[in-house]
Amino acid sequence: MSPESSVSVSLKINGRDCEFSAPACDTLLDVLRDQVGMTGTKKGCDMGACGACTVLADGRRIKSCLALAASYDGRSITTIEGVGTTDNLHQLQAAFIRHDALQCGYCTPGQILSGLALLDEKPGDLEAIREGMSGNLCRCGAYPNIVAAIAELAGL
Amino acid sequence: MSGPSFQYSRATNLRDALILASQPGTAFLAGGTDLLQLWKSGAIAPTAVVDISRLPLDHLEFLDGQLSLGSLARLSDVGSHPDVTRNHPLIASAILASASGQIRNMATLGGNLLQRTRCAYFRTEGLACNKRNPGSGCGALAGESRQAALFGASASCVATHASDLAVALAALDAEVEVFGGEGLRRFPLRDLYRLPAETPERDTHLTAGELITGIHVPNASRFVARSTYLKVRDRASFEPAVVSVAALLHVENGRIVEARLTAGGVAPLPWRLTRSEAVLVGRAPDAQAIAAAGDMAVEHARPLAHNGFKVALLRNAVIRALQTIGGQP
Amino acid sequence: MSSHPALRYEAALKVTGSAVYEAEVLAPGMLHAALVKAPIGCGDVLSVDTTQAADLPGFAAAVCYVDAETLQPSPATALIRERAIHFAGQPVALVTAGTLQAAREAARAVRVTAQARPAVTSLAQGYDESFAPAMVGRFPAETRRGDAARALTDADLVMRNRYDTAVNNHHPMEPHAVVCWWEDGKAVVHTSTQAIFGTRAMIAHAFQMAASDIRVVSRFLGGGFGCKGPLWWPWMFWAMLASKKTGRPVRLELTRAQMFTLVGRRQQTVQDLGLGFSADGRLTGIEHHALAQTSTHADYSDSTAVYSRVLYACPNVTTTHRLVRTNEPQPVPMRAPGTAPGTFALESAFDEAAERLGLDPVELRVRNFADHDQETGRPWSSNSLLECYRVGAERFGWSQRPAKGTATDGRWRIGWGMASTLYPAIRQACRVRVELTVDASLRVQCGTQDMGSGTYTALAQMAASSLGIPVSQVTVELGDTLLPEGPFSGGSQVTASLTPAAEMAMTRLRTRLANMAVTDERSPLAGQPVEGLEFRDATIRSRTGNVGESLTDVLARGAAEGLEAEGESVATQHQSLVASSMGYGAVLVEVGVDAELGEIRVRRVCGAFAAGHILNPLLAKSQYVGGLIGGIGMALHERTATDLASGQIVGDSFADYPIPVHADMPEFDIAMIEEEDPHLPGGVKGIGMLGTAGIQAAIANAVYHATGKRIRSLPIQIESIIE
Repeated sequence: MSPESSVSVSLKINGRDCEFSAPACDTLLDVLRDQVGMTGTKKGCDMGACGACTVLADGRRIKSCLALAASYDGRSITTIEGVGTTDNLHQLQAAFIRHDALQCGYCTPGQILSGLALLDEKPGDLEAIREGMSGNLCRCGAYPNIVAAIAELAGL
Repeated sequence: MSGPSFQYSRATNLRDALILASQPGTAFLAGGTDLLQLWKSGAIAPTAVVDISRLPLDHLEFLDGQLSLGSLARLSDVGSHPDVTRNHPLIASAILASASGQIRNMATLGGNLLQRTRCAYFRTEGLACNKRNPGSGCGALAGESRQAALFGASASCVATHASDLAVALAALDAEVEVFGGEGLRRFPLRDLYRLPAETPERDTHLTAGELITGIHVPNASRFVARSTYLKVRDRASFEPAVVSVAALLHVENGRIVEARLTAGGVAPLPWRLTRSEAVLVGRAPDAQAIAAAGDMAVEHARPLAHNGFKVALLRNAVIRALQTIGGQP
Repeated sequence: MSSHPALRYEAALKVTGSAVYEAEVLAPGMLHAALVKAPIGCGDVLSVDTTQAADLPGFAAAVCYVDAETLQPSPATALIRERAIHFAGQPVALVTAGTLQAAREAARAVRVTAQARPAVTSLAQGYDESFAPAMVGRFPAETRRGDAARALTDADLVMRNRYDTAVNNHHPMEPHAVVCWWEDGKAVVHTSTQAIFGTRAMIAHAFQMAASDIRVVSRFLGGGFGCKGPLWWPWMFWAMLASKKTGRPVRLELTRAQMFTLVGRRQQTVQDLGLGFSADGRLTGIEHHALAQTSTHADYSDSTAVYSRVLYACPNVTTTHRLVRTNEPQPVPMRAPGTAPGTFALESAFDEAAERLGLDPVELRVRNFADHDQETGRPWSSNSLLECYRVGAERFGWSQRPAKGTATDGRWRIGWGMASTLYPAIRQACRVRVELTVDASLRVQCGTQDMGSGTYTALAQMAASSLGIPVSQVTVELGDTLLPEGPFSGGSQVTASLTPAAEMAMTRLRTRLANMAVTDERSPLAGQPVEGLEFRDATIRSRTGNVGESLTDVLARGAAEGLEAEGESVATQHQSLVASSMGYGAVLVEVGVDAELGEIRVRRVCGAFAAGHILNPLLAKSQYVGGLIGGIGMALHERTATDLASGQIVGDSFADYPIPVHADMPEFDIAMIEEEDPHLPGGVKGIGMLGTAGIQAAIANAVYHATGKRIRSLPIQIESIIE
């Protein structure tokens, strides 16, 4: 493959096939928000620290701001839009609401995607949840309630 | 944030990667977790990126006590693999102490070893940094030096290496396998990194286009019972080490037969504490021996204005790590 | 007024990613913007050359001081109209292009020449040039009560110490953004602001337009903490100018790095605090002098020493505030402005005094309780601080406090510490409109903001309970200047400001409904006394009798087109207050310190807060915990560093500015002490900032208790513990 300035990328986003052309240096985050128009995934720092951009790629949580879209060609991506809707909430989303695991809401989609992936890892106790979630920053201070929501689903 | 646009290509095999990388200004893309940060902050400006992430180099084999790892294996996969957790708990601990869950899913072993320094002067355009911009000076030297090295620094550069995995592998005498114009070669990890001296812009001895393809870890079963990775951070998680220590002991009949100690966060590369190791051999892992090892570790430390506390911290961290593993039967 | 843990009104939108933040507004033909930095940290712009940038693909237009000269001069336009460069990182132009990448490339291609002037890049460099502002906010900068100098000389115990607090940055998770465009000379501005009406007023002034030709929208704010205010306006104005120039919508989003310099910071303080006590532990004198950094283009002082005037009883109090101008970014209020740095000094000093006097720290506070506002002579409208101490101490188990330096848990040395916290309770003017449709659905409107603080929920709850309908039947609209004017989101004032306005609107609505029913002979309630009616379960019913009628029936008969009502309230009239109002709290913490490795971890926190009537304990608890976590960050982690040589921030990223993470969390125990306050409408005080003060000193006191090390500068880090 010779070097290209623009790439053609195919992704399965929340089960739906999407194809688009993007500049080579676009990240998955930029493509999701600006090209595909799915703004549920948030840009908090664009440098891989805050985790607001967390999505699942083939079931694994990643920071989409550090993911070059071209490099993810052919992958299956899950965003917050694919987790649940206001009429059909995922259990974790419902737990977030019940535990008030959010305030301004900007970090929330990333916390939820990250939490879903962490639940698959079967965290053993609250400390494991806290450690496992430490890649998702929250400035409003919803941390304890977020952990409580995840813990509820983990049966802890 | 972003730097200047670059072109993208994907390598189909190692030869292809080498050819594509022969263009000046080309960077390899594996997990992308460091590359994209560097590009966005203006620390690097590649004209082209060669994606090697799909090359079949993610193997993990444990045979006759030797661990062979493909350089493109993901940190999370390696850190949770039973062959690693059982036989190389030091590697598992170091990996799990790195970064965050999402980053560990993306980042590769090779990329982790080759990560550039986290020094803020390097990663911020406009600040004096000989590593990023040779000849511009070292802003950390007389500026914010809290993160600076205690060893191996020079008047040109005082940056440290932030990889936890590198510290663990250095303690284990791991080797790296590199593919380049001459084919495959293999050498100790400790020979991968360069000290800054007068040319801090080069972190490693790799030549342009060379690629780490694998990591080999010799038999470490004698250390499994006494192995620890101690990472000291300002906050409880998701931060590079202020100081870290990888410690391994082989004890027989109450005497230390072999000791491995490597420090992180204090030098431009993993800092093997050979003199501390030497002072332990033949002795019981008692308080005096451990204290001597701690003292040895900091004997030639050269602190700057804001990192003097790291001297006592390193000494104490060595002692704490040895206390942790010294006392077991 | 009722209290109910109603679920957060907009939670379903937020957990599904369907809440639209203003950067996400779709505007056809939108251009992306990027800012161009000055090449130096102090001096003047000579020229801005965009010819190279203009040749790049996708380039649309650039704006700089030349374009901004069409705006009215004001503090909000100074940085974009004038050529002076005040701090490193100051933008000198904005470029627009078809994509964000193209905009950034174009920004890099802009050639700026500038003439440098010597820069002052730290507070320490400017000590000799300090000056005193006249006011700090609405308080005088300097006050004298009695003779503190004499009192300190004569005191049985006198302590004088210096306290330092570092620069912090707000860092809400949502970066500042604007999407703006012009329609026939009218401006539409979707932006992340804590003050839509303040923003509208400034646009009107800057562009010399009628306010009615400007619409500002901010429906969901991804955090603010004080930085989504005036300092954002210059960059927003440039985006608006670019939109005008190109005839296309423009979006500007700040990068995280830019949020270290462009939108405000918590100023660095150096505080000299002298306390004098009598042998029985009563304060005889306080001298509290605060020195802080401000920029070279605007003056700002936190009210750092202000609260030493009133928190405790003391006859002799001298306080001063001074500023040093440096070529660093401008400070602004940041969560718990004044109280956070000020209580760090005062509450640390109290802890030291307690030990020297041989008194329990809580007891020392109790002995010095101020039973009225000694600065103004006014009574408190309510003050339950003593109850906070009592409840907090009991829940925390304070009476079991181990002797200093004796408790351990594995590698951790355990220490306990406590502190008082407070925050003024004030209100702004507010208008609320309610619209009831024939199916008994209620729409509540107010042009105020919700930055995660629970404004949507507060209004929904108040309206729903007032009318006796479920919250699910209430729609709340906020964040649009087309709505009735509401308060800005700051000073923990929004709920208190909304309450009387919402109550008035609802009362008017209820009165009309009640009258409709009792005057209509077709109604079962005909002839009933209006005072005997209650609104419950979507019906109006007599409290005594067994008659009632559904709201929908009343409406169908008498108001098929629906009903509307408005309510309003006025701001706190500071000049004519009968009583002073504050919220209070007692914060108690347990820390673990590893004396050899220097690591410090907060293990548990108890906050006992008294802030009037709590409308929603679920959301209130979230606010308190959020505040405490912010305080932990200030105490243990956060420090924005400047490179003295260049004036640039060193480490302008979350990697180098470590805010607390999940793994840092202690156990939280929050007690909310109900207070009745007849002076405040609805008895509501602000709560958002109570948690963010006091805890810093509580942590420092606990660290001392664990290690014997008294640390008087923030953040407390590894090097504070290990030499």
